[in-house]
Amino acid sequence: MGTATGIIKALNSGIKHLAVKRFTLRYPEQKLKFVGDGYQFDPASGVAIAGLKGRHMLFHDHCTGCQLCSIACEGVAEAIAMVKVPDKWGQNAKSIMPQIDYGKCVFCGLCVDACPFYALYMSNDYELSSFTKEGLIYTPAQLQVKPQVQQDSELIIDKRGARHG
Amino acid sequence: MTEQVIPTKKMPPGLQVENVDDRIMTLNVGPQHPGSGHMRIIVKIDGDYIVDADPDPGYVHRGEEKMAESRNYITNIPHLERPVIHDSCNILYPYVLGVEDLVGIEVPERAKYVRVIAAELNRCIYIQYWLAIYGIFLGHSTMFMWPAGDRELLIDLMEKITGARVTHAYFIPGGVRNDVPANFEDVCLRQVNYFEKRIKEYADIFYDNPILKARTEDTGVLSREDAIRLGTTGSVLRASGVDYDLRIKEPYDVYDELDVHTNVLKSGDSYARSKIPWLDMLESCNIIRQALEKMPKSGSIRTKLKPNPKGREDEVYRRVESGRGSAGCHIISRGKPEPYRLKLSVSSFRNLIALPYLLKGEKLGNMPAVYWSLNYWPVEADR
Repeated sequence: MGTATGIIKALNSGIKHLAVKRFTLRYPEQKLKFVGDGYQFDPASGVAIAGLKGRHMLFHDHCTGCQLCSIACEGVAEAIAMVKVPDKWGQNAKSIMPQIDYGKCVFCGLCVDACPFYALYMSNDYELSSFTKEGLIYTPAQLQVKPQVQQDSELIIDKRGARHG
Repeated sequence: MTEQVIPTKKMPPGLQVENVDDRIMTLNVGPQHPGSGHMRIIVKIDGDYIVDADPDPGYVHRGEEKMAESRNYITNIPHLERPVIHDSCNILYPYVLGVEDLVGIEVPERAKYVRVIAAELNRCIYIQYWLAIYGIFLGHSTMFMWPAGDRELLIDLMEKITGARVTHAYFIPGGVRNDVPANFEDVCLRQVNYFEKRIKEYADIFYDNPILKARTEDTGVLSREDAIRLGTTGSVLRASGVDYDLRIKEPYDVYDELDVHTNVLKSGDSYARSKIPWLDMLESCNIIRQALEKMPKSGSIRTKLKPNPKGREDEVYRRVESGRGSAGCHIISRGKPEPYRLKLSVSSFRNLIALPYLLKGEKLGNMPAVYWSLNYWPVEADR
């Protein structure tokens, strides 16, 4: 193949893409839809359920304050600290629950795997930015709130290429 | 020649006095220069020609091996994938295989197939990232945009399986952490087929492009004998005409049940070294399709492990074919929940040794073309 033909072929290959739909996800307006409600773990079968590893969800009525999540995090990120909570729960004699510092968390999900009481899950919420370091520390009360997410954009593949819609 | 400079007092460590030559100039490429990554190449040039090159890695040494000695076999997992976050499944693979040997657990058949699919997807993600960098350093900005965009297809797929976009922490001794989502086979097949169609389009714009060929052909030629003698691995070795791929030579998990082909080119120049990873991606798509077909449709995905597993008193060395070449992991266990010593043998560091041989006699302008064709990842080499 001659040099001229090669260059024309290369240019042609690029020009063809003028007709192809834009692949970019326009992020703040569009948000990608994920599988399920987030990463969860079933201690009975010992297998997790697929989902996004985002911000944690803490179920106060299940947490016993056993500190297993905190121990699991010790070798990884040391992001989990056990703190006193004001309300009394029957199963939680010491009234301590995890507080997670997202400035340190690496979102590996090993704390979720460690919880034997179905108390700690991960949710689809990944927008955790904050202006201060203190704003990244989530107390048990904040972790209890179910995140409001509007994620509906999906990947569409057709003859004119791939796009998000 | 100017007079030799004799230091009057003792120099601080790290500094050295150099004799000034009127022909040879020393140039530091990096560590801040974007063309070098997190490393420095000390280049001596005569006019425009390189007479000597000395790679100086170590700027991102994080002590992963030492850190592994104080953590148990499970909490090591998020740490050990940090050296190459874009290829995190493959860098973790030898460790997980080694721990399985030490702890003595069997992996379910379905988990093995899921691992192979995840590893091959991750290989493609890594190579796309590398290709984007290779493109932009040769001044081909389209070749930066296309791989970076198409990579998202597979990142979305990995996100569906593992829940994380880059650092997956998905493999675990005994299998994988979670099963693939429902109707994963269809979604994966559709996205991988489209991905393959897309990467085939790179031939016209990049690999058959006469401008790229003029730039990379016959630069940095590594002969077959030198490639073996220097102990290179992966795409560098296969570009020099040595047919060596651990997926065939030492099959792990279910690679022996799949039909894997290797791509070998004979010329050993920068062009061949940049083309081999692209051919590998096409081969990966084939492997994923085969694995999806042969994968058991249901079944266990993980063998249950005790919370703090202890390895038997032994040492084990396992290696796999990563996106850059052979990645090995040597674990010494003394019957404790933590490894006594863990050593990663990574391909980036093994390929780096070829750089001084390749750069000698090249023009300085060709340095990025040769350096990036080694498929080098500075963070992996430093560990």
